[in-house]
Amino acid sequence: MNRHLPGLRVFFSSAYYSYIALFRWFRPAQYIASKVVMPLAQILFFAFLGMYTSGTRDPSYYVIGNAIQLAAVSGIYGVTMSVGGERWAGTLGYLFGSPANRMLIFVGRAFMHVIDGMLGVVLGLVWGTLLLGVDMSHTDLGALSLTILITTVSTSGMGLLMGCLGLISRNVMFINNTVYFLLLALGGANVPVESLPGWVQRVSYLLPLTRGIAAARLLIDGGTLRGVAVLLGGELLVGAVYIILGYVLFRQFEFLAKKRGTLEVM
Amino acid sequence: MSVIEVHDLRRVFRTSIGVLRRRVKEIVAVDGISFQIREGELFGLLGPNGAGKTTTVKMLTTLLIPTSGSARILDCDVVDQAQQIRPHIGFIFGGERGLYWRLSARDNLRYFANLYLVEPDVTRRRIPYLLELVGLADRAEEKVEGFSRGMKQRLHIARTLLHDPQILFLDEPTMGLDPVGARELRSVVRDLLAERKTILLTTHYMFEADELCQRLAVINHGKIVALDTPAGLKELVQDLSVVQMEVLGIAAERVQRLRELPFIDAVSVEPHEQKQILTIHSSLGSGAVPQVLSVLDGLRVDKVTSREPTLEDAYVRLVGGEG
Amino acid sequence: MVNTGERRRRLRSYLRTIGQVFVLQFKQTAIDGFIIFTILVQPLLIALMGLWMLRGQQDNYAVFVVIGSGMTGLWSSLLYISGSNINVERWLGTLEMLVGTPTPLAVTVIGKTLSNVVMSLVSMVLGYILAAIIFRFPLSISQPLPFLISLLLTVVAFSAFGLLIAPFFAINLQLQRWVNALEFPMYILAGFMFPIALLPSWTTPLSYALAPYWAARALHATSSGTPAPRELLLSWGMMLVFSVLYVAISGWLFRVMVRRARVDATLSLQ
Repeated sequence: MNRHLPGLRVFFSSAYYSYIALFRWFRPAQYIASKVVMPLAQILFFAFLGMYTSGTRDPSYYVIGNAIQLAAVSGIYGVTMSVGGERWAGTLGYLFGSPANRMLIFVGRAFMHVIDGMLGVVLGLVWGTLLLGVDMSHTDLGALSLTILITTVSTSGMGLLMGCLGLISRNVMFINNTVYFLLLALGGANVPVESLPGWVQRVSYLLPLTRGIAAARLLIDGGTLRGVAVLLGGELLVGAVYIILGYVLFRQFEFLAKKRGTLEVM
Repeated sequence: MSVIEVHDLRRVFRTSIGVLRRRVKEIVAVDGISFQIREGELFGLLGPNGAGKTTTVKMLTTLLIPTSGSARILDCDVVDQAQQIRPHIGFIFGGERGLYWRLSARDNLRYFANLYLVEPDVTRRRIPYLLELVGLADRAEEKVEGFSRGMKQRLHIARTLLHDPQILFLDEPTMGLDPVGARELRSVVRDLLAERKTILLTTHYMFEADELCQRLAVINHGKIVALDTPAGLKELVQDLSVVQMEVLGIAAERVQRLRELPFIDAVSVEPHEQKQILTIHSSLGSGAVPQVLSVLDGLRVDKVTSREPTLEDAYVRLVGGEG
Repeated sequence: MVNTGERRRRLRSYLRTIGQVFVLQFKQTAIDGFIIFTILVQPLLIALMGLWMLRGQQDNYAVFVVIGSGMTGLWSSLLYISGSNINVERWLGTLEMLVGTPTPLAVTVIGKTLSNVVMSLVSMVLGYILAAIIFRFPLSISQPLPFLISLLLTVVAFSAFGLLIAPFFAINLQLQRWVNALEFPMYILAGFMFPIALLPSWTTPLSYALAPYWAARALHATSSGTPAPRELLLSWGMMLVFSVLYVAISGWLFRVMVRRARVDATLSLQ
């Protein structure tokens, strides 16, 4: 047990500092703007757009899709900045040099964003229920919570990979924004994946959120945990792959940086 | 005729400290200064960092509004008649900023020329001339982001001369320039003076102030502590002028006679090998030498050196050695 | 006093400055990833989503989606780019230089804003190409000439709005934090991608108070509908009214902003 304690401490402290750093950067007004107003606006926009283009009166499909997709707000933007932000803060060198277990630091950063992301999704669903008449009465809330957790984790996994890319690219925000919108377009939030061209569908299934959104829709419609188990498993797997890829990339940079004696990997 | 009139100018900055319980701290950067600058004069503002030089210049160039007091340039108020003043003044603050990095030097100049309402045909002639003047003619097409600090400074100088302003404000213009560049700039300043331009120069290089300025204001903690010509300022510290003589075999009684001379402040004697070194402090400076020599008549005097007080001496005396 | 000859010369200098800034802004943005995203990528992705969502539904609305997504690009570029025009100059250290010249600050901001708006229109054109060529949606503008007039007025109205928000965001830096939250609400209230008839009726007065709504109304009507002349004149009239209003307010805002910055010493970063 004692041998694990330092590891745990590193994990939690990096999570804590990641969140604190985020807060120092954001201010309350900005937090409200991006965590409350913007998500609501996004949901409303696509709900109405969906109703218009599909001619239906029930926006649930779109509301659920966008609410779950909100996991990407913290998963992509939040996590990427946590990792990529190191470079701009100039603290990357310290990170590379420390003896602490890399994996723990790496994952610890994402942890708070997962919590944050889940809160965002839940808030989105609450808006949906209150304002747009989404019917949650048949939902297995436990299963839904699990779905949200897994989806947020997998999205954060992608964020970790993006963050590492941010270490070499100058256009971090460009990558972030594009990925966010790609997830919005291809993850099934607004456009049914089946109606996408064949090769695009294949890309959709390589992304996080696709299975999570599908699972959430099934569950809110009255489905069971068993019914969505395959989807959830797939989502988790996708997330794991991204995390591993991100970690590998991270270690690669570290190796290159040490070899070249510079942190400018560009 | 006074081209620049400053009367009791004051500037207070408020900063808030703390996040939750915000306290307001007031810093008085400029604390009631007054001076006048005549047309065609090169006026210097000398002082340590944080004395209020840049703040004063910013107020005079209409970029900062004074907290109280007034300043008039060409008989226009800097606060309310700023638009009437701006066509006639040029300013440099130096530093890395104030230029468009992604543009070339030439494009920067073209841009600012337009902003200063310079006619295109005049611009066409003037830009090559100015680039030549500041030594950037061969780097004109390069982007500013690749320039060294000195080069940026030189481009600033070219920029400020684009519209041929009557009045120039140069805030530490030779900062960041190598000695050759600095010397070139100083000769440019002298040429400008010959064209009857009025120049306010701030600096903390003593020799530069001494060499260029016709009048100087020494500023510290936001207040002017002295305002005079360089020579006048040096007279403040005339007591620091020292004459040193190497003599052989001086007797105490002769030293006493020296001390009794009316213009002598102090005499000290220090043995040095076989001789004695007399250090004489006198308000006459080297002017005391003939009389001292007559008192020392008959003694062998080997080396006479005199050290005149410099502007730096005056400055240090005025500013109190804190700067 | 300034005579007419001098005034004309001054105006010519201003126009030259606007021209220079316009070109400059093009050069700057071609290499800036964030701007390219806002002006190009985001509207195209929104267009893509709209068009995919339409698949299998009525094809008539394709033009609507293309025009609408172009407008989302216009608005987002106004928010993120035009809004930060002055603040960027401050960050570069050139704001002081600009204020110290005889040319009013508004002149350079006009140039930048025009440039941003025109560039955004490019994304609308690209969306059109995307839909017409790749998706093979039927895309005909129902009333070409009125459409062109509407487009011109849109440029004017949006530029006027850009002129307004630049000093606004410069005075109140806190507001820049809220830009994220202002993006989608405008898409909704101005009816860019769907008619505001879908919205609850109490929001309609809000929509009427927004210039982008009238722009969208005119553009949609002339591209995918058959509007009555009265309807068009109303939209055009409102755009002109708003443009004049925005320009007038911005004149005052610029004076306030520069004065305040001179008092608070915020023309440069200390």
